Amino acid sequence: MESESARASSAAESRFRIDDPNSRPRVVKVVVLDRPSEAVAERLAQERWNGASFLTASAFCAEPRANDQLAVRAWLSDLSGRTRHLLDEIDGADLVIMIASAGESVPAAAIIGEACSLERVATTALVLGGASATDQALSRTLAQLRPWALMLVVASSEASIADMLRALRA
Amino acid sequence: MLRKEQSELLTQTGPGTPAGRLFRSYWLPALLAAELPDNEGPPVRVKLLSERLLAFRDTQGCYGLIDEYCAHRGVSLWFGRNEESGLRCPYHGWKYDYTGQCIEVPSEPEESGFCTKIKLKSYPLVERGGVLWTYMGPPAKQPPLPEWEFALVPPGHSFTSKRLQECNWLQAMEGGIDSSHVSFLHRGELNSDPLFKGAQGNQYNLRDARPVFEVVESPGGLYVGARRNAEDGHYYWRITPWVMPSFTMIPPRGDHPVHGHFWIPIDDETCWTWSFDYHPTRPLTREEVQAMRDGKGIHVRYVPGTFRPLANKDNDYLIDRAAQKAGRTFSGVAGIAMQDASLQESMGPIVDRAKENLVSTDNGIIMARHRLLRAIRNLMEKDVEPPGVDVSHQRVRSAALILPPDRPFKDAGREALSVRPGVAHASV
Repeated sequence: MESESARASSAAESRFRIDDPNSRPRVVKVVVLDRPSEAVAERLAQERWNGASFLTASAFCAEPRANDQLAVRAWLSDLSGRTRHLLDEIDGADLVIMIASAGESVPAAAIIGEACSLERVATTALVLGGASATDQALSRTLAQLRPWALMLVVASSEASIADMLRALRA
Repeated sequence: MLRKEQSELLTQTGPGTPAGRLFRSYWLPALLAAELPDNEGPPVRVKLLSERLLAFRDTQGCYGLIDEYCAHRGVSLWFGRNEESGLRCPYHGWKYDYTGQCIEVPSEPEESGFCTKIKLKSYPLVERGGVLWTYMGPPAKQPPLPEWEFALVPPGHSFTSKRLQECNWLQAMEGGIDSSHVSFLHRGELNSDPLFKGAQGNQYNLRDARPVFEVVESPGGLYVGARRNAEDGHYYWRITPWVMPSFTMIPPRGDHPVHGHFWIPIDDETCWTWSFDYHPTRPLTREEVQAMRDGKGIHVRYVPGTFRPLANKDNDYLIDRAAQKAGRTFSGVAGIAMQDASLQESMGPIVDRAKENLVSTDNGIIMARHRLLRAIRNLMEKDVEPPGVDVSHQRVRSAALILPPDRPFKDAGREALSVRPGVAHASV
């Protein structure tokens, strides 16, 4: 007699797999951390996404704040230049993806990362231009991101970011 | 998730398909040399990339890999007689040499030269490191022979096996670059398997089930680094190289032999999982080889006379719920190889990637798909040689390292991630 495993994993049985959606849409925030990466975000934002929002921290503002878990009040901006409060954006997000260019200084990563940590939001960081930057320059950027990203990806092509966002249902 | 058309592009490898053309750019492991041990021995049926072939070793020891069927009436040459420098069809005596050239058609006058007009499709078949490798692409683009380290170490330093896996190559391969499953699925084996146990690094694995990942592109594919906490603020790194289209090497543990895999499509619903172990600086011990033959580490025990694992879908992988309950195995299936294969096969012959819900820790898989799709596109549109064909891309190693927190694994491990003859793997 055919085993359960043999029958259940057959191609014929695959037509009985439940076809209902098995997940709800995710809230994904894509934050570019430096000026060279802004153009990437602008191009990506032209494509169709499942509600992903694109923000920039290249003109990141932060002011010290006492008596709160997060030591600073910080603002991002959307791609049209409107100011957005960091904690408001992170609140309710499922995933924050930070994008940086190799060799750039990305001090905002620490504050965004700390805020995500407090709010229990998963983080991923993508570094572009890893192939063309010097090891030293790349290391400098990675060192600023590493403590704050559960996953770090060094990619040579911008297309990989779009593929990654789609794969993560952004 | 992956769109249906992207998934089909990656999973279909038959003749004329884009991913089939990608696979046909490389030397691929086709058989174990031990499957053709003798000149004039029995031929062996081989199916690769959805092509039915026959391998044999002629009177002079030349290896042939030819179309399985006689050009006359379509009889399988597996029934053929391997004699006097060729394989003779038992039906009407047509005879073929190791290149597939017909050299005799007994019914036709010899002087007619009829046999010179008959030639079966054939591919080169070359022995290296106990493996018979074939190249199934255009002869003009045949690359140099493969230079994977495990195939170049002295005899006695390596052990290679293969097993039938009853699912598409991609979902099997994706399991190999998914480092985050080790702390769950294989946790029982880290302390018990003779080819894994005893390494200091195992304790970091077991203590920290939530590694942090870094994925870096390499000339041939990717390095997937998994970082766990070690002592004094340092990190324990396990770095897995993936080289296109389907090679990975598992990071070492202590002085154990290092293991790795290839996944080679048989057709779109089955593949060969090739598993190798080697040590660059010493012969494998008798105990290690015996453990591998007994199905320990990444190897399996077989249904006698086949390469099908003894634990397979027809016997529910011999699942032992009591062992699962007691924590001796996490899934109830014994052995690292079948723990992986049972779950990958349970997805069905070709998993529906449109329904998956990937998370950040799956970025190694996401990047591998991206690189495969990019390579296929470049190959189809611009005839660009894919990564991994160049033998310099094959001279990679896995590594296990303890590093200070500010050192990127790729810089710190630059030497450790390259083949260094006579030097052992960097291991913890």
